[in-house]
Amino acid sequence: MSRTLKLTGQTIALAAVAGLLGLLVWRLTHQTHAPKIGAPAPNFTLRRIDASGKLDLASLRGKPVVINFWASWCVPCKGEAKMLEQAWQQYRSQGVVFVGVDYHDVTSDARTFMSHHGITYPIVQDGSGMTGDAYGLTGVPETYFVDREGHLVGTHIVGTITNQAAQFRSGIQAALNQ
Amino acid sequence: MILKVAAVAAAALALAGPAGACAHPKTSLSYLEGQIMCPTCHTTLDMSEAPAAQQIKAEISKRIAQCWTAKQIEDELVGNFGQGILAAPPHKGFDLLAWWLPIGAVLAGAAILAVGVWRWSRTREPDDDPGLDPQTEQQLDELLARLD
Repeated sequence: MSRTLKLTGQTIALAAVAGLLGLLVWRLTHQTHAPKIGAPAPNFTLRRIDASGKLDLASLRGKPVVINFWASWCVPCKGEAKMLEQAWQQYRSQGVVFVGVDYHDVTSDARTFMSHHGITYPIVQDGSGMTGDAYGLTGVPETYFVDREGHLVGTHIVGTITNQAAQFRSGIQAALNQ
Repeated sequence: MILKVAAVAAAALALAGPAGACAHPKTSLSYLEGQIMCPTCHTTLDMSEAPAAQQIKAEISKRIAQCWTAKQIEDELVGNFGQGILAAPPHKGFDLLAWWLPIGAVLAGAAILAVGVWRWSRTREPDDDPGLDPQTEQQLDELLARLD
């Protein structure tokens, strides 16, 4: 009887340790890393807040895409909103698509922001932040460039594009040229 | 007569306060601040001054003023940010495990401890020390008496 009890206890303890180890391994293997330039852009299918329905990044394959992560609570995002809209107006005739990803934001505030800054390009909502995590986002705003094949190109911009205008233009060119 | 009714209605509307105001709020900001997470800093709202937290607090205050319940506000925030916005997992489905596993672990630990103590008390060696025999005891007494 005592031997059975001891064995049962040991089995339970071993199972618990194995379970915790399994959790640790799972966590380590599922950590998100920022995708490298040249790697496929992490796909997303997110709800649009500028219109009804969802937007699937894969559906834009064949077009250069500029992905800008922003939020209405982000002060620097206000500073670059006008320049983003102007760039969208400038490059849309060349087939470039701008996609704004509203990160960890309240929908009504995001819509107010869009209306206030006159944003007309598609905006999707990443409320849970999972898409931002997939891109290895360190904060907002951040901007990525995707070529026609769906690969990340150029140098992704951390911070406002207004302070890195040359990098922003060369990112768009890289997406157009690939 | 119609003018009088219209005047009374206008006065009643004016006294009723601004549109959306709630005379009897159904929840409070201080309660919800402890239930909702700041999505960018991963602490509850009451522990955070981050811009995203400030924005959510403002949203909650707006909803409280509109007489929303805590459940309605939480549901709206979950719809916006996902389940991760809640500080505690919901009491349903797979998330129930998060509530019952710790309780189960404590109960299992207590049961194992109780069984262990019970078994230890049962298997302890009996107190079979026979003590000193009368002759040795007498010799010891004599020896001690000589030392005094």
